[in-house]
Amino acid sequence: MEEDGNQKKHRKRQAGPKAEKKKAKNKHQQELTPQQRNPKAFAIQHAQKTAKLIRRTQDIKTKKQHIPLVDRTPLEPPPIVIAIVGPPKVGKSTLLQCIVKNFTKQRLANVQGPVTVVSGKTRRLTLMECNNDINSMIDLAKVADLVLLLVDASFGFEMETFEFLNICQVHGFPRIMGVLTHLDAFKDNKQMRKTKKRLKHRFWTEVYQGAKLFYLSGMVNEEYQKTEVHNLCRFISVMKFRPLQWRLTHPYIVVDRIEDITDPETIRQKPKCDRKLSMYGYVRGTHLKNHSMIHLPGCGDYSISDMQSLPDPCPMPDKEKKKTLHIKERLIYAPMSGVGGVIYDKDAVYIDLGGSHSLKQNVEENDVPMNELVASLMNVNNPLDQKMGTSQMTLFSNTAPITEADIEEDSEADDEEGIARVRRSAEFNDAAATNQKQEKQTEDLVFDDSDEEDESFNLFSNSVKNQTVSSSERTENESIGSESGSDSNSDSDDEETSSKKLKLSRTTVDSKASDSSKIVDANVTLSSIGKNVDTTDTLKGLKFDNSNSETEDSDDDIEEEEDDENEEDEDSEEEEDSGEDISDEEEEDEEGNLKWKANLAAAAAESFKKRQTERINYRKLIYGKVEEDKEGEEEDDELGGLFKVLKKKDEKNNPNISANMTDSSKCVPDKLQSWELEEIQDLIRDCFVTGNWDKSEDAKALLEQDDELFGDFEDLETGEIHHGDGEDDVDDDEENDDKEDDENANGEPSVRKKTKAEKTAMERRMEKKKKLKELFDNEYDMKGDNEFYDNWKLANEEQAKLNRAEFENMEDSLRVGYEGFRPGMYVRVELDRLPCELINNFDATYPLILGGQQSVEGNIGYVQTRLKKHRWYKKILKSRNPLIISLGWRRFQSIPLYSIQDHNFRNRLLKYTPQHLHCHACFWGPITPQGTGLLAVESLTGSEPGFRIAATGVVLELDKSMQIVKKLKLTGTPYKIYKKTAFVQGMFNSMLEVTKFEGAKIRTVSGIRGQVKKALKTPEGAFRATFEDKILLSDIVFMRTWYPVEVPQFYATVTSLLLPPAEKAAWVGMKTLGQLKRERSIMAPPKEDSLYKPVERKKRYEPTLKIPKDLQKMLPFKDTPKVLKAKEDPYKRVAVILEPHEAKVNKMMKMVQNLYRHKLKSDKMRMRERVSKHQKEMDRIGVIKARKQKQVKKDIYRALGKLQKKNEKYKKD
Amino acid sequence: MSGGNIMSFEGCNYFRQRLILSTLSGKTVRIKKIRSKEDDPGLKDFEASFIRLLDKLTNGSNIVVNETGTSILYQPGLLVGGKIEHECNTQRSIGYYLEGLTCLAPFTKKPIHAVLKGVTNDQIDPSVDMIKLSTFPVLKRFLGTDEGLELKIVRRGAAPEGGGEVTFSCPCRQKLRPLQFTDPGKIKRIRGVAWAVRVAPVVTNRIVDSARSVLNKFIPDIYIYTDHYKGSQSGKSPGFGLTLVAETINGAFLCAENSSNPKGSDKGPSVPEDIGKETAKLLLEEIYKGGCVDSTNQSMTALFMILGQQDVSKVQTGPLTPYTIQFLRHVYSFFDVMFKIEPQQVSEEDEDLRTGGEKLILTCVGVGYSNISKAVS
Repeated sequence: MEEDGNQKKHRKRQAGPKAEKKKAKNKHQQELTPQQRNPKAFAIQHAQKTAKLIRRTQDIKTKKQHIPLVDRTPLEPPPIVIAIVGPPKVGKSTLLQCIVKNFTKQRLANVQGPVTVVSGKTRRLTLMECNNDINSMIDLAKVADLVLLLVDASFGFEMETFEFLNICQVHGFPRIMGVLTHLDAFKDNKQMRKTKKRLKHRFWTEVYQGAKLFYLSGMVNEEYQKTEVHNLCRFISVMKFRPLQWRLTHPYIVVDRIEDITDPETIRQKPKCDRKLSMYGYVRGTHLKNHSMIHLPGCGDYSISDMQSLPDPCPMPDKEKKKTLHIKERLIYAPMSGVGGVIYDKDAVYIDLGGSHSLKQNVEENDVPMNELVASLMNVNNPLDQKMGTSQMTLFSNTAPITEADIEEDSEADDEEGIARVRRSAEFNDAAATNQKQEKQTEDLVFDDSDEEDESFNLFSNSVKNQTVSSSERTENESIGSESGSDSNSDSDDEETSSKKLKLSRTTVDSKASDSSKIVDANVTLSSIGKNVDTTDTLKGLKFDNSNSETEDSDDDIEEEEDDENEEDEDSEEEEDSGEDISDEEEEDEEGNLKWKANLAAAAAESFKKRQTERINYRKLIYGKVEEDKEGEEEDDELGGLFKVLKKKDEKNNPNISANMTDSSKCVPDKLQSWELEEIQDLIRDCFVTGNWDKSEDAKALLEQDDELFGDFEDLETGEIHHGDGEDDVDDDEENDDKEDDENANGEPSVRKKTKAEKTAMERRMEKKKKLKELFDNEYDMKGDNEFYDNWKLANEEQAKLNRAEFENMEDSLRVGYEGFRPGMYVRVELDRLPCELINNFDATYPLILGGQQSVEGNIGYVQTRLKKHRWYKKILKSRNPLIISLGWRRFQSIPLYSIQDHNFRNRLLKYTPQHLHCHACFWGPITPQGTGLLAVESLTGSEPGFRIAATGVVLELDKSMQIVKKLKLTGTPYKIYKKTAFVQGMFNSMLEVTKFEGAKIRTVSGIRGQVKKALKTPEGAFRATFEDKILLSDIVFMRTWYPVEVPQFYATVTSLLLPPAEKAAWVGMKTLGQLKRERSIMAPPKEDSLYKPVERKKRYEPTLKIPKDLQKMLPFKDTPKVLKAKEDPYKRVAVILEPHEAKVNKMMKMVQNLYRHKLKSDKMRMRERVSKHQKEMDRIGVIKARKQKQVKKDIYRALGKLQKKNEKYKKD
Repeated sequence: MSGGNIMSFEGCNYFRQRLILSTLSGKTVRIKKIRSKEDDPGLKDFEASFIRLLDKLTNGSNIVVNETGTSILYQPGLLVGGKIEHECNTQRSIGYYLEGLTCLAPFTKKPIHAVLKGVTNDQIDPSVDMIKLSTFPVLKRFLGTDEGLELKIVRRGAAPEGGGEVTFSCPCRQKLRPLQFTDPGKIKRIRGVAWAVRVAPVVTNRIVDSARSVLNKFIPDIYIYTDHYKGSQSGKSPGFGLTLVAETINGAFLCAENSSNPKGSDKGPSVPEDIGKETAKLLLEEIYKGGCVDSTNQSMTALFMILGQQDVSKVQTGPLTPYTIQFLRHVYSFFDVMFKIEPQQVSEEDEDLRTGGEKLILTCVGVGYSNISKAVS
């Protein structure tokens, strides 16, 4: 045993005969797959089972497929909106504070409005708390990406939780994470576990199986436990989100900061005047375009008057490779709760020192004057500039005095130019006057800040810095601001310093309409503002900052005006020039054709070159213009000399003439090029397949290339053997070749791409092989069952790539023009003419959202929806009762009509919604794309105990007219009946009505069908009708008709944001009739028929039984009615006393009658005698006859007997 | 609130563009000073006829024309479509109306089946042949298929008096596809229609011969159909003309056409040979300009590009026509969409190819437009 350790191990032989033998024995075979080794095991053994299996796998596969969408997520996404939702007293604010603290290590005392924090290297979060108002819940459900649904575990689910879940389901289901709080209220551990499980399962049925539910077990120092919050935050920061249809197609902004930029002076004079507000926030959803339509839920529809992007106040951390965030990168931005430090605006920097932005305070401060002097100044109704306006000045003795109005008129257009940072709306209607006002407004605002608000002040140095930082944006802004194009600053120093950048300006035709003084080409405008404007601007800003009183302010204004006057003349010239330039361009464009001299081939070539070089800047031509063409100007001078020839140009430029030209899309060139010439023909030679191709496509080149690869072939006819040039030994020894190639490749250090010629044979071969493989793959591999699906996905991916790449390297200022403001940008949106209540009653706890929409969606029409009453809602809904509907961005009240579609597509009106069925609801409301979900509530107040969501549905169709019908039965009664014809009255009122219904089907109650035939003259409205059988007089005849019902055109936006804070949750719109009656305790007027009356019973009349005579005859006697003649009453006879003549006549008649009677009697007697006589005679004759016959018979029988006897005798014999 | 903001314009030019864009964008349009300074002020009959056509096509639109006809307010309704019959005014050809229809047709509630009567061919507007040959292939790219897309010339009617009839049908879509069409490829064939009504049938042959004489130098694959109408199908006035279309290997169609002077015009009667030659030259000019869509269809292509989803669309065109330029301005004011217009970069290798004038690449991002009229079930 001891030797075991020392013993040598057996070593296999490595060489020699034994080793050889072993090797031969278990020779290595190529690896076989199990299927190859044992094919039987893999054969189909149970056909049915396999079929089922395959079907199942296919089912699962297909279920996984979604309709592929083009991925439009931006590279730098906006912060994720997290809504913290739950009933009151559930711990929402605490959770928000804890989350913020977790990310930023800061504790926010008083959170109001959205809070944006940086949560990680690639993610930012906007946290919002949702108050217990159904308006806020609806608005937040529309914008939240993730919902933290807080539930008080000690209480269980509350109605608000379910309401919110249902709101979410309608408006696209965001991610929902449940959070259970108040778990420390449980004393019993087992009870807690049970509750947790019960709540979890209930939550799962509402959201989805396995939805995440978080438990926050207890509080430590008024905060949730740190580790639990940390875990929750980790879940949040790795969460993935699904795209929601509505948000993919609509841009929106969750406003996180709001400023009132109305002129304080106008507010002072008219405290209820419409306001101009600027709102700030990240663009989300999709691209938001300047001047597009937006909806402010809770306020109304507006269009953006101006918009620009600002530097991100809460930027994503730098892309350095670090694991954790640097403390400097843990940013927090919450201007509404006074956190965020430095805020950059377009023309100022605000340093916020906590809560000074609360606008309420601002208003109060405005109301309280500092001292008497200020107060007296503030109360001046006619400020100095207005006084100046009314004053007059005479320059020369014989001229009319100049008023300010004149100056303004002249310098209207130029006014804005002085202060370039102010931007105006694109509409020209409010041209210069409002512009001037606006510019004052902003100035005053800055002044206001510095002067009145002690806590926030405007540092000039900072503003300058800011300008340098965002100079590019600013210049862009200015160009937009000076949109009219009238302010072209052509000072010589301007030209020197003017940035040579394209500046886009926007005008519409209507701008010209309002401003006739400008002679500008149709829509092309000119705006070039140099940098020096900026500097003067900032200087002015300085002035304003220093200025302390209104009077100085107005002084400045006057100065400006004077300046403007100086520039005025030049400017007006400029305008003309700008117009001319464009015309020049056009002319030049045409000149190319006009200058043609047909027989000069050289000229043709030259012109071709010229065309190549002479490129039209289409952007400039179409959308605006930047620089002036100096050359063009000079040319003008040369042409015109001292006097400019303007007439012709005027014709071109004058919009009145070009505006009324023939409207045709066909563009016939004025003069054709002389296509007979060979040179000119050559210009397009290669447009045809017969021309030259480019090298990648040229057949000859391709053929040559092929020759190189597969060059060797033997011409069988001639016996020649052709070789491809270059490598002969390709096929012979590939391996060698490969090695050589490898060596070559290693040897060459150059990285540059090789040209075709340089590529080695190997490379070329590889390329070829790759192509072939691709071809093969396309043909066979892709052709699966989901080839279509894959292709679709591929196409979408390509589109997404193109979308990203197209504008990637473009400057933001330009890019915004093409795309709009892309999601993720921080923008400032100016809105005009907003109601003052919005800002006066502003409450940061209510979310303020700007929902962008297509221009069509601002229109109103009939919206047909498929609707179902919510199964938890207690009441059924009645047609024509107003309903508050949340659809798209909007919340509004409208009057729906419910209907159901019959089999013949007739929409039949329903009085009430069916209990458990879908029905159609049609109302007058905003045009919203089909397929959008909607939600209806009857009242917004939370006073009612039950579930508030009345119905949910989806938009089906939009139209400007709607056909809903109601059944209407017209009844009448027959008044005359002939067999199957009857005359009916009471159904119509006039002949005309009847004629309209001729041929209509009618029916009796008993079911006899008929038809209206013809109107009768009398009685009015009666008609002849025929029936399939005879009807009775007692029948009621009715006709079934369909009566179109008008949908009431009522549409009222829910303006909950405009209400004072106390009433915000209780917006009341149109009331139902029932509500009004209840309020005023008005009883419904009862129907006459349903009232109880004393019963009066009539005595029953029984008609006598009449049996027809024929029938009586057939009856046995005892059943026949024995009607005895009533005895005549002897006493009631009346004695008739005749006149003598009458008596005589009477007597005579009686005698004649008696005579006649006697005659008849005697005649009868005689006849009887005669008849009896005749009878006797006949009897006698009969007796004789009978005797004779008897005798004859006797004789015959005797003879017969004799004969018989004879015969018998013979027989015997 | 209904109607949103009002857009104001002046003058009668680009009348159709404004009404069409208004209908599609839902914005109200006011046009003032329509021929206010002319001897014959106000709307012409053909414009009134176009308004009537729009009225038939839409539901709930409100059109107010002032007494003199110099100002019009158009509040668009929703597009309905369906079966439409319209007597087009003979001052302009059916092409004038049909261009408007094609722009609106994909966005109707029901597919359009329109019967248009009037002048089929004249010298001002693109004829029905041209629309069929060059507009339809473009439309097809946006619709996806050409199923249900049809234009049938039932009767041909030449310029002054007309008497022609065409049926136009087009399917409607919820959404249009984005277009990427930057390489037209080379022209592989030239086709055409030489038509004649109320003149000798030999006229068509004369036109064909003269056109071929010019075009044969470039490509051999030319076939021009002769289309001579007789009797009731031939309209009310005599005329003849030629429509030529060049088809490229990638499916771009470049079209040119010409027709005879209308009866009783100042220029006197036209000679068939001249028409043939001139049309051929016009086609060469069009080829020189080049692009994936020809000059008449630039505006329609631009319209459908912006009415797509929020995707980038790209198309190559020749130099923009004044009509298109104005259209792009209008598009900007109605939809706030700008086009990126850049000259096409020619690679070094292809620089020596003689492919005519400079080409442009038009790029834009769709506004995410969807058909709001069509019902979903």
